[in-house]
Amino acid sequence: MRQKTLGKLFPYLLILPSLIILAGVVFYPIAASLLRSFQLEEGGWGLDNYIYFFTDPIQRRNILYTLQIVIVTVVLAIGISYFLAIYLRFSNSWASRMIGRLYLLPRFIPGLVAVNGMITVIRDSGLINRISRLLGMNLQLGLMYNGKGIVLMNLWFNIPFATMLMAAALSKIPDSTIEAARDAGAERFRILRQMILPLTYRDLFVAATFVFMSNISSFTTPYLMDGNNPQMMGISLYTQFNNGHYEKAAALSVIMFLFSVLSAAVYVYTNMKENEWEKGNG
Amino acid sequence: MKNCKIVSCGKKTAVMALAVSVGAMLMTGCSTSASASGSTASAGKPVVTVWAGGSDNVRVQFEKQIQQFNASQDQYTAELQFITSGTGAQGLFERVVAAKKAGQTDTDYDVIELGGDEVTKYVDEGGEDFFVPLDKSKIPNIDTLQVESTFRNDLVMPYRGTTVVLAYNSETVENPPETAEELYQWIKEHPGRFAYNTPSSGGAGGSFVTTSIYNFMDESALTSSDPANKEQWGQGFELLKELHPYMYKSSGKVVYPNKNQGTLDLLANKEVDMIPAWADMAITQMKQGTLPESIKITQIDPSFTGSPVVLGIPSIGSDQDGAYAFLNYMLTPEAQNIALDSMAAIPVIDFGLLDQELTKTIEDLKIEEFRIGSLGNLGTELYEEWDSQIGTLE
Repeated sequence: MRQKTLGKLFPYLLILPSLIILAGVVFYPIAASLLRSFQLEEGGWGLDNYIYFFTDPIQRRNILYTLQIVIVTVVLAIGISYFLAIYLRFSNSWASRMIGRLYLLPRFIPGLVAVNGMITVIRDSGLINRISRLLGMNLQLGLMYNGKGIVLMNLWFNIPFATMLMAAALSKIPDSTIEAARDAGAERFRILRQMILPLTYRDLFVAATFVFMSNISSFTTPYLMDGNNPQMMGISLYTQFNNGHYEKAAALSVIMFLFSVLSAAVYVYTNMKENEWEKGNG
Repeated sequence: MKNCKIVSCGKKTAVMALAVSVGAMLMTGCSTSASASGSTASAGKPVVTVWAGGSDNVRVQFEKQIQQFNASQDQYTAELQFITSGTGAQGLFERVVAAKKAGQTDTDYDVIELGGDEVTKYVDEGGEDFFVPLDKSKIPNIDTLQVESTFRNDLVMPYRGTTVVLAYNSETVENPPETAEELYQWIKEHPGRFAYNTPSSGGAGGSFVTTSIYNFMDESALTSSDPANKEQWGQGFELLKELHPYMYKSSGKVVYPNKNQGTLDLLANKEVDMIPAWADMAITQMKQGTLPESIKITQIDPSFTGSPVVLGIPSIGSDQDGAYAFLNYMLTPEAQNIALDSMAAIPVIDFGLLDQELTKTIEDLKIEEFRIGSLGNLGTELYEEWDSQIGTLE
């Protein structure tokens, strides 16, 4: 009997060190900054740090601006990757095989290098402008120092990732299912709307969640490409921290965390639904 | 049933593997930290660890100096710990202060490099006993020192200076402005051709903002952190508001780039003709060829501000005598020549002692006008005021 209890406990004992480390380097700092976010710079406790971010016109604009950029990124990235993945899955052409091999490449290029590369191409005096000047035009894209450039850069980072997720989801749909539908007389759009979409919409949500979470707190891209106002939340956090407003920085971190939790809730919810569905079938 | 067993077996193995690997990580972690904390090198000489951070030219400078320091005497071995900016620019301050607050002693923070007006920040956070009060008798070379640190001269020692200058494209600007007044006039006459970076993201823009405001005030205010000076900021901010519409524009909107490098990139790409820039960054990039040859630097009158970069000895370090030896070395003409050569730093000792060929490279800086701007914590407030008054203008 004792042997058995020990046997049961043994694996937990083995994870204990990692749990202790996690508690020390992850859970404790989270709790500490949560606590700090309710501390006031002048001393005392209160919700003032949070109220500041939602009432100060500059900060409120920063939050709305961040959400705007992230939502545009999510919609564009997911939309483009979905159709790209469908193309890769159902087309057997030379071009699709080529794209299939190359589309993950951007993920292997370090972020900082990619951002600087993009800046060199799109800035008002960049590669595109120089080529256009050779042709006698002076094409200035105006993509730097505003949200447009950031969205473009985000797409570079997120389309490969989302396409990968969508391609995996689409590969689960057997050819025979599609062929059967086609035999029964369904045209393309109908197959997409009534078969492919229902079979993959959960993965769409999962991909959207990941894209949302990785962009809401982005720093490098806006730091190098954005103007000074409005700022994305990551930059605003950096400024607060640099100026020694640690309490406000903590509150902003919590706000960013809550936005991520919100999107994670969507992820958990869609996953739970999947389990229900599997139970029903089993 | 059978399936189940395989699954649970798999889980167990996975858990075990995880636990073992974490255990292994722990052990290696312990062993590395153990070897790092030993402050005596294998050769038996005490090790002096020097901590610095910033752009790569700072690293190059320190590596050369440390090499020479180690070759010049056989009592100590100096080692460099360098934190490249961008990968954790905040790193050094937070690391040392955290170590101090955690009650650590006998650490390897023997000597640290910091900006002249950061001293107050260190003392505020780390306590009055954060630095060892400097015993000048242990730094004989201090007699040749020409520059004073603005704050806490008793705790830190300047070893080089940096200053902001006006960098311009000589192809398009034939007669660069010579005074601040002329510069403001030039900006208004050439809309969209001047840019300065957001002051909180880099000192070049910071100096432009600071001088624009403090030129209206008493000169002594420039080295004071007295909050009462805030009341006199108004006139300067009016000037900055007036200049705002004439700044660099991207897609029709005025833009202040982030970081000192942000404006240097605009100048290199000829999107603007003139910017405030750190002299050492501009000179180094001219040497490397990343700035075109047509770019020149000049100083205006009253000049942009600079600041001394200082060295301090944290009280939690383990080798104070070695630290003093290193500080003393840093004021030798040899060490000063290296700083001048590798990063166009402004020497802090008598120029007569230096390599005259090298001092020519910084002639344009008009060192005699080296104007120290050091507002301490008030600087942060000034930049925040800029963020809300100027940064948000449409």
